[in-house]
Amino acid sequence: MAGNFWQSSHYQQWMLDKQDLQRERQQDLKVLTEDEYQKVMIFFANFIQGLGEQLKVRQQVIATATVYFKRFYARNSLKCIDPWLMAPTCIFLASKVEEFGVISNTRLISTCQNVVKNKFGYAFPQEYPYRIQNVLECEFFLLEMMDCCLILFHPYRPLTKYCADLSSENELLPLAWRIINDSLRTDVPLLYPPYLIALACLHMACVIKQKDIKQWCAELSVDTDIILDIARTLIGLYDVWKNYDEKKEIAGILAKMPKPKLSPSRPPSEGPNGQDGSNNSQNQGQSMQQSGMQSSGP
Amino acid sequence: MQKYEKLEKIGEGTYGTVFKAKNRETHEIVALKRVRLDDDDEGVPSSALREICLLKELKHRNIVRLHDVLHSDRKLTLVFEYCDQDLKKYFDTCNGEIDPDTVKSFLYQLLRGLSFCHTNNVLHRDLKPQNLLINKNGELKLADFGLARAFGIPVRFYSAEVVTLWYRPPDVLFGAKMYSTSIDMWSAGCIFAELANAGRPLFPGNDDDDQLKRIFKLLGTPTEEQWPGMTQLPNYRIFPMYHVSTTWQQVVPKLNSKGRDLLQSLLVCNPADRLSADEALQHPYFADLPSSARQL
Repeated sequence: MAGNFWQSSHYQQWMLDKQDLQRERQQDLKVLTEDEYQKVMIFFANFIQGLGEQLKVRQQVIATATVYFKRFYARNSLKCIDPWLMAPTCIFLASKVEEFGVISNTRLISTCQNVVKNKFGYAFPQEYPYRIQNVLECEFFLLEMMDCCLILFHPYRPLTKYCADLSSENELLPLAWRIINDSLRTDVPLLYPPYLIALACLHMACVIKQKDIKQWCAELSVDTDIILDIARTLIGLYDVWKNYDEKKEIAGILAKMPKPKLSPSRPPSEGPNGQDGSNNSQNQGQSMQQSGMQSSGP
Repeated sequence: MQKYEKLEKIGEGTYGTVFKAKNRETHEIVALKRVRLDDDDEGVPSSALREICLLKELKHRNIVRLHDVLHSDRKLTLVFEYCDQDLKKYFDTCNGEIDPDTVKSFLYQLLRGLSFCHTNNVLHRDLKPQNLLINKNGELKLADFGLARAFGIPVRFYSAEVVTLWYRPPDVLFGAKMYSTSIDMWSAGCIFAELANAGRPLFPGNDDDDQLKRIFKLLGTPTEEQWPGMTQLPNYRIFPMYHVSTTWQQVVPKLNSKGRDLLQSLLVCNPADRLSADEALQHPYFADLPSSARQL
């Protein structure tokens, strides 16, 4: 659905501001520095990208999943739900919402195991611990937390239009597109309308390619301060990347990261210790088997 | 769930049971749709997700309002505005008589809701009297978006039961994979005729073949000339060349000539030639629509 952005839940409920984000992160920032927090977010965006590529979903699904992930942690501490579980849950939900189809349980979990083992072993040396029951439960929390606002607007579509208008589909589009992908590693998708992100990425692509589109921009009458603000955030990201070796540093940061005491379960309905939680998921597994048997009956 | 008191069961939706309920605080009457999560593979069913995310975005007086989504005990409950009945039940209670102004008002509201969906790039895909809700004030609202989806994506019907045969256009019956807003416009045409005949369905086919035969007997079997591309459709098969033998006056005797003209512009076999919702709203049939009906 690509209806009217200004009437969408994306605009009306999910355009946040920097103060919001700062306030919600207070708790995590007692443990992590801002720089480390950013690196955690970059890392999990990479993880979602890795899962998405392995599952061969479209970039649109990856982008939607990444923004869901950001929305959740914009309102919750990292210790609320383990991001290692949240990441595949976001892909699972986004794939359904973007009409890419349902990813099968076994495929989702085995992909997590393989991607963790083959690509992110430097950050997670153990075996991937979560099962599909955890994902299905987590999907519930995610839906609730987002207030069921599931339809997102991404900068890709406006970018494609702008590039067509500039007749620069070959020169600027691929570069600006990649910058949009990079913008998913920042807070930008939570803070600005997608068409402005598209313009900022286009602007950066022009600077790199040394192409002058001032005339064209002037006719758009948009707030250049916002465009520059977005561009500055992205340049900040590239600065972080330049002086940072994720493979060496991330394990230390993740070790510091605040963690949930047990797998995600709602405190009032579950017991206070991990034992109850695991019993519960066993029960759930049993009831699933039972219902499977029932449905295959006469 | 403590917030609502269940009053009675009112039906089975695409993916769960629907109850009438009362908000204990405000006493507002609502419809609760419980989402079954028995299909463990899928988590929250795609059809429920589709309905939730589309209705979250589509706020319009002719589209049923989703007030809230409740999460409890691994169950989802959708809270909808309550409407007194659906159009199917309305037909059952109207004793074979619907006055022409009501027919006009219902169709107008149906088209207005559709126009809003289509401007927002949403196809309903499953329009039928059961999915049109009517309340005491004569307001009509589109409901059950479980099969709706954003368009521009190739879609297929999962099974014959899912989309009701009687309201399915010939291009879809021939297996067309890409279709657009025209699918809803055909269904709107069928519903228009049914309204005009106080609940007698226009094409009550038994299976795909019977459905197409009924359509072609009324409209004449289309030729490749009238409908370029028809013979290339995946499930195209040759039908006898029926010639039009009944007049529209016989088909919808109570409908005036402007209404018949509008109906004919909706029930066109070639989807490219079918009227759009916006065009239909501008049709002279609605020129004398009372202003009270426009405000519904």
